[in-house]
This record gives sequence, structure tokens and C-alpha cells, in this order.
Amino acid sequence: MKVEKVEFDALSRIIGHLNAISVGVKQAIKPERITTEYPRERRKLPDNFRGLILFEKDRCISCFRCAFICPANAIQMELYDNYYPSIDYSKCIFCHFCVDSCPTTALKQTKIHDVAFKDLDEMVVHTDEMINPPELLREDKITVEYKINGKLVLERKREVEDLIVDVIPVKRIEYHSACVNPQNCLGDALCALICPTNAITVVEEEGRRIMKIDTAKCTGCGLCVRECPTKTLGLVRREG
Amino acid sequence: MKEFSIDVPVEPPTELKPLFVPIPAEYVEDAYKSDEFIVLVGPQHPGSGHMRIIVKVHGDIIVDAIPDPGYVHRSMEKIAENRLYIQNIPLFERPSIMDNANFNLGYIRAIEESLNIEVPERAKYLRTIMAELCRIGTHLYDAAILAVFIGHTTGFMYPFAVREIICECLVRMTGARFTSSFIIPGGVRRDVDKKVLDFVRKATFEIERRLKNFEKIFIKNPATIARLREVGVLSKEEAIKYGVVGPFLRASGVEYDVRKIESYEAYDDLDWEIVVADEGDGYARFLVRVNEINQSLNIIRQAIAKIPEGDVISQDLFEGVDSSTKNPKDIRGAFYDVFANLTLPLGETTTLTEAARGLLLYTIVSDGESNVPYRVRIVTPGWLYLRGFMESLKGERLADLQAIYGSFGYFPPEADR
Amino acid sequence: MLDAIFEMFKGNMVYIPLIQPIVNALMKIPIVNYIVALILWKPFFAVAILPGLGGIMIVLLLMVYWERKLTARVQWRVGPLEVCRPLRGLIQPLADGLRYFFQEVIVHVEAHRPYYVQLPILTFIPVLLPILFIPAGEIVAVRSQYAIQIIVALIALIPITIIAIGWASNNRFAYIGTVREAMMYFAYEIPFVIAVLAMILMYGSGDPYVIVEKQTVPGIVMNPIAFLVFFIATLMATSRLPFEIPEADQEIAFGPFVEYSGILFGIVMTLAYEKLYIMCLLMTILFFGGWSGFAIPLLGDLTPAIWLFVKAVVIMLIIALSRSIYPRFRLDQALRLGWTSMLGISLFSLAIAVVKVWWLG
Repeated sequence: MKVEKVEFDALSRIIGHLNAISVGVKQAIKPERITTEYPRERRKLPDNFRGLILFEKDRCISCFRCAFICPANAIQMELYDNYYPSIDYSKCIFCHFCVDSCPTTALKQTKIHDVAFKDLDEMVVHTDEMINPPELLREDKITVEYKINGKLVLERKREVEDLIVDVIPVKRIEYHSACVNPQNCLGDALCALICPTNAITVVEEEGRRIMKIDTAKCTGCGLCVRECPTKTLGLVRREG
Repeated sequence: MKEFSIDVPVEPPTELKPLFVPIPAEYVEDAYKSDEFIVLVGPQHPGSGHMRIIVKVHGDIIVDAIPDPGYVHRSMEKIAENRLYIQNIPLFERPSIMDNANFNLGYIRAIEESLNIEVPERAKYLRTIMAELCRIGTHLYDAAILAVFIGHTTGFMYPFAVREIICECLVRMTGARFTSSFIIPGGVRRDVDKKVLDFVRKATFEIERRLKNFEKIFIKNPATIARLREVGVLSKEEAIKYGVVGPFLRASGVEYDVRKIESYEAYDDLDWEIVVADEGDGYARFLVRVNEINQSLNIIRQAIAKIPEGDVISQDLFEGVDSSTKNPKDIRGAFYDVFANLTLPLGETTTLTEAARGLLLYTIVSDGESNVPYRVRIVTPGWLYLRGFMESLKGERLADLQAIYGSFGYFPPEADR
Repeated sequence: MLDAIFEMFKGNMVYIPLIQPIVNALMKIPIVNYIVALILWKPFFAVAILPGLGGIMIVLLLMVYWERKLTARVQWRVGPLEVCRPLRGLIQPLADGLRYFFQEVIVHVEAHRPYYVQLPILTFIPVLLPILFIPAGEIVAVRSQYAIQIIVALIALIPITIIAIGWASNNRFAYIGTVREAMMYFAYEIPFVIAVLAMILMYGSGDPYVIVEKQTVPGIVMNPIAFLVFFIATLMATSRLPFEIPEADQEIAFGPFVEYSGILFGIVMTLAYEKLYIMCLLMTILFFGGWSGFAIPLLGDLTPAIWLFVKAVVIMLIIALSRSIYPRFRLDQALRLGWTSMLGISLFSLAIAVVKVWWLG
């Protein structure tokens, strides 16, 4: 497709000037403004908005997946009764790879995007601070939504939007770890050391160290599978 | 007639020495001994962006222009060698955040080509829509910068206002305004529902309507035309010789578009044309991009009308992986299991992508066993047309530097990587 | 001696019925009556209050706010709002001025220090000189038969101060901006003078009183071509877009003013607005019937001054729109425009004037 040639003779120039001035005057009289006066108004955000990340402790299986996948190394695991993630928001780029990696939906997205921190140390949000949403000073009383019915309209509603999203947990296939290739085992007990729930115990049998896996305790996090140097362990689908 | 000359002892300014300017000292001396002088435009100049252009002017006419890029070099290629393949996705959309989908697309297509993954049709269409939205966004951004470079503040604000609608579309589709990291090997991260696609379709008409105002006040404004026409002309031969790419090559009359020649994603199924202009001047370069916006809007509408139902994530990915969920419509929960140990087979893969500003090349070299790339090579369009940009400056007036700069839409972070 | 001066002041005071009781009361107090008499002395009033310095101050505050607000409106934005929200940001220019005032003034090493600091303040002289000759009804400083010619001549002084500022700055961009300013001066001055000449020819006199008296129909209707030339010349003379060439911030970073900061920048920035104000006053007298308008009995002598001021301000507010419509021309394009189209049109307007005067009476 060839670009249309734009005329530049005297007549078309005068028409061009008049057109430009007419648009200027028209917009000065009736502007098509799209400004949202942010602290007083707030744009309505979709539910999949990638904002601040919240954490649900009960669901977490300490699988370290979020910490491993983070492209910015923002997530550190902290030891409480078990290992739980903490996020350094000075590094976080809100790609939400961690949220998508979490097999149990323990990490959840929210629509919060305007938390202020006093200094860099405070930007490291520890696990216990991630469970409840941070205290926000909400000035907004109006929610603005972009609606297009032939023309873009900024629909203003007098309501305060809830920034917490109800996340439906993903349907999960349950796994537990098992010794799929027992002949490979070196007896180094690395799996027992790494297991966050102490599901693996070391038993001495006939002069060899054998790992016993308590499938009831196992959460199927796969840490031992990743740690095992000889690919002895594997994840097996849980029965029933 | 005898020619008289007065030898005025001129001292070349010493201030150029400590600035680490990449020109020899003799160059400065020569300029000062003849009738010329050197102006450093940038890097702290309102009309230069993050780069320095060393301009040698004779009166008001630019004799020579030497670029000094690299102020925003972030060593992307080296960083990429220390990260998982999947962790490079957010990295590679950083050079040009407006154009994130196109930049991701090139990298991910290289991975897919290497792994031989068949991408579901729906995902291809979604990627096409995103790529075109980003293309419009980038063209609008460049139009805005061009406008403010030649002093038109309304021309700066209108495209940004229109881009806000595109941001709204993208945030509803992906959850982020820019840097969406939405495209993953084997598809997209999650399905986009019908309501959102309908919003995007309606938004294209709104964008078109608002661009009409922009056209009257800026594009067809006689003052704009006067500033841009017959300025920085690159003929067809010159454009090919200097390796100019993308819309700027097409503005010189070369019909080359990777989307048509080595079609990827859903571009083959859709009906659109390559925009070409003959003049090769600043105004043609601008008009080509304005017309490309219309083509892109057309592509988006067609893609939304034609989009098939189905999966958005390739089933190949889940094979042989103990992932905790195998939902082909949403990657949630399986992201780590599927992608963390992604290893490319031994070899080298190269893809060409038509990013908004032109040809984008990705080469991934894999050693076949590690889960990080051995080497990633990016050649961005900005870097490719920098030479043509500098050549087109020569012989123009100093005041035209900004107009030509804007007409090329040169974006230093993209060129420097 | 003092009494003689006092009598002179008293004999030529602005009569405003609205505040006359207060003036009468103040005139009875010693010392204060001297000050009141001075302020209300017509020549002083013209220069210091209306249409002089006081008018300039009001115009500066109003114009800066209006320009930002109008530009924002055209550009689908809101503009200044947060400084005094109930007034929609009306006192934003005051806040800006305050900021300029407390900002550090940096005088760089290579600048010519005395001139660099003096010149922004000295620029007020060529700005205020034309005001001496601009009458507003009875309020006038210097009454002259050749007032219009003198005003045009004095306006030509203003670019010289800008050129001097650029020279004192000793900076590459300032130098380029200075050259541009000088070039632009040549682009608009001749058509501008010819357009004024056409109007003087038409009215048969350079006396503002005669001009205003003769405008039963506004001058814009009598000779619209001359108005067009005058209007474009105003845009060029005051560095408004599309002719914001000497200051071009994207190209040469505010040109002559590139090195200025703090309150000195605040002063030089207002220079263009002051020049615009004077040009608009002149435009009002030549094309919009000057200070004629229906009388407001309560204001007495002040009525014509108010009319002149209001008309000039309205023209300025309309001119402010040009900023949001046009990009910037290149210098050679502006020069070409000045020396071809504008010169031609201005000669045409002169021809119209000649035809109207000699053939049609």
C-alpha cells in the first residue's frame, strides 16, 4: 500500500491551518479528557492485575519454587516453623512468575499497587507481613472504569473498590516422593536433610542407610527430588 | 582576485578532553581551524535522549555527525547467560518496554523453534493481537516524541492519551500495563476471555476516532509538514546501503516486512498490506508509521473476529513433567514444573521478528545440557538504523536534527540493549 | 516648591467616584495626601498602575495560569490544580514565582558577571518606555501626536536586551539563540512597520486619540489584511509558537536564557509576556477601537483604562491558544515567511489603505 500523497499547495495549506485551529478550539470548548485524579479517584483494575503479592501460610508446602523461579532474586525463604517466602520489593519486577509457579496457590495477586516504604530495609516484606494486606491510607472515594460504547466514557462510581482478589485455588494433582530407583541410593541422606516436613527418616539396615519416606507427612514439594544427586527419588501420584 | 585570509589563532576548547568523547583531538582542531565548530548534542540535552551526537556544523549546516551511543547499555546479552531460559523473558522485554510483546515474541519463537513446540492456534492469535497493540503503542510513543521535538505539545499529549487506551487493553489482557511477560514458550500464560477481546475490538474504533483529532492538529498541520518534508532524505539505494530497517526502510520505497516475507504467528491468515512510501524524507517516515497504525488496528479487528476457541498452552509442554496441574488454558500452578528445567537441544537458533521499529534478530546458542543459554545475541532495530540516521543528518540544518531524530523514532535503550 | 508639585498632582488626578470618599478622607491627612496625590496623578497612574506596571503584574499572573490551563484543556489534561484546590489552582503562578524567588541563582564562571546579573532587570526599561506613550482615555503619561510611531520604535528596543542577555551568558546555545532572535527581528519588523503605517495612513494621524475617535467601525473591519500581518508579527515578536524559534527548548534549550536560574530566570521568562502585553495594547488601539466602550459611571476616569486593559487581555487570552495548536517553524522558514508572504500581504494592506484614503475619501 502506498502512502497517500499529502498536498502542500496554498489552498490545502490554508485548509490545514483551519482544520488545526478548529480542532484546537473544539477541544478547548469540550475536551475529551481522560484524566483520573488518582489519589481521590482510582482506576478500576481487572482481577488478574499483577500487584502486591499476598501469602497464605496454611497452603504453603515450602517447595521453594517461587524463590527459584524469581528472575530478579527478590524472594528469600525465611525459616519459621518451616521455610516461607519473603519478598524484597526493591527488587521485585511484578512479573508474577512466583504466583504462577506456586502449585498450591499460597501466593496470591492483589490489585494493590501503591504501598509506600520508608527505606530500603523496609522494602523487604517478611512472611508475617505478607499474610495480611498492608495498611493503606485510602483517599479515593470514586472508582473510575473505562467503558467504550461507541465512545470512550470514564464511568465514575461512588464506591471504594476492594483491592483484595478472591483467588480460586488451582485444582492440584497430589504427589508424594518415593524411591523410584532404590538401587541408585548412595545413602548420603541429603533428602532427609532438605525435607522441610521431616518426612524422610534414615534407618540403618544391614550396614546400609536406607531412607524411609512417610507419605502421610510428605507434601509433594519435590525438594528432595531436586536435591538427590543420583535421581533415586521421584514424584509419584498419590492414590485416590 | 586575490584571496585574503586572516589567521585568527583559535584554541580548540579543552572541555572536550575530559568528556571521553570518541573523537580524536585532531578532529576538534581541524574543525576549529576551518570555519566550523563542534556542538555536542546530549546526553543532557532536551532534544537528544540518552545519547550524544557530536555535530560538526558549518554555519547552520551539519557537515558531519558522529553518534556516541551506549549511555544506557545494560549488558543484556551477558546477563542472559546467567539466567534460566524462562527468567530471560522479563529481561528481554526491557530494551523497549512499549514494544514488549514483539521483543518477547522473537526470543520465545527461537526457543519454540529449537524445542519444536507446536503453538495452539488461539495462542497465536492472542500473541498477534498483543504484538500489534504494542506496535501501535510504540508508533504512538514515537509520534509523541517527534511532536515534542518540533515543539508541538498537543501532539505530544494526544498520542499518550490514545496509548492509555492501549494500556487499558493490555492490562485487561495480561494484568500489566507494560512488561507483560505474558508470552511463554508454547503459548501464552492464560486465556483471555471474550469480554476483554470485545473491549479491545471496541477500543480499536475509539483509537481510530481519537487519532482523527491528532491527524488534524498535528499530522496534517501545515507547520508540521513544513518541518518534516524534504528533510533527512534517504534514497532507496542509500537506505539499503546503510542497512536501514523497518518502517524507515519502507519509507524509502523498499517493500520489506518480515511479517509478510517470513510470516510468523497468525499474520498469514489475516488480510493486510505493507505500507510503503517513495519520498524517503522525514515526513514519509512519519506517515508510514501513521498508516501502519491503521493497518495494525485492522489486523487486531480481524484477529478478534477470527480467533478460534481452544487451548492456549501447548500440550507438548506437559509431557513427561510432574506438574501439579495440567490446565491447557492457564499456566498457574505449573509454571515452575514446566519451565524451570527447560533445556534446549545443542545448536543455534535464529529468528527474525518485525518489531515496531524494524527488524529484530535473536540468536540463541545452546550447549545442549545446561538450563541457561550459552549465548544470546540480540540485534535491535535501533542499532541497525543508527548509521542511516547519522547519514541523513548530513547537509541539513542544526534545527532539523531534532526533526530527523523524531522521524526515526530512535530509542537509545533499545539500541544500546 | 513642594506645594507647587502637590498642586500639580492635585490638578491632574484620576477621578474615580467609587473610591472618591476614601480619597477625600486620605487627602486630609498630611504626608499621606502627597502619596495619594502622586499615585492618582494621571501620568504616574498610567505608568505604575493601569495600563502600566500593575496591569503587567495582573497579566503575568493571569496569563501564566490561563496558558497552562487552556493548553491542558486542549490536551485532554487538567493542568495546575493542587495549589489552592477550591480555586482550581489559580494561585499556581504565585507559587511558581515564590519558588523562583528562593531558588539559588547560579552565575557560571564564563558569564560576563555584571551584565549577566543586571540585564534581566534592565529589560524592564524598554518594556516600560512604550507604556509612557500608550494612553487610556484621560490617563496618559506623555501625550504626543506621534505616539504610535514612537511606540513602534521603542518596541524595537526589546530584542536588543535579549541579544545582550545572550551575549552575557557566553554559552553556545545562548549564542545560537541570540543569532536566531536577531534574525527573527528582521523577519517581522518590516511587515510589522508597514502594517502599522497602513493603519496610520488610514486614520490620517499617529495620535491615538484621533485613531480611537475615527474608529466608528473597528480597524479590523476596515483593513483586515493589516490586522493579519500585525497578528502574525505579534506572534513572531513575542516568540509564541509557531515562531518560538529563539527559545526552542528542544533544539537549543531556551536559547539566550539557557544559563539563567532562580529569580533571574523568573524575570527573563516574563519578558516575552510583557512584550506581548504591549503589542496587544497597540493592537487594541489600532484595530479594536482602543478604550472606547460604554461608560461605567462608578469608575469615572478609570473606565477607558479598564476597557483598554480588558480588550488587550482578551486578545492575549486568545493568542495563548496558538501554543497548543502549532509546532515550531524552522528559522529559514520563518524568515522566508517574513520576507515573502508577510511582506507581500503588508504591501497589499498598504495599497488598501492608499485606495481607501485617496479614492474613497
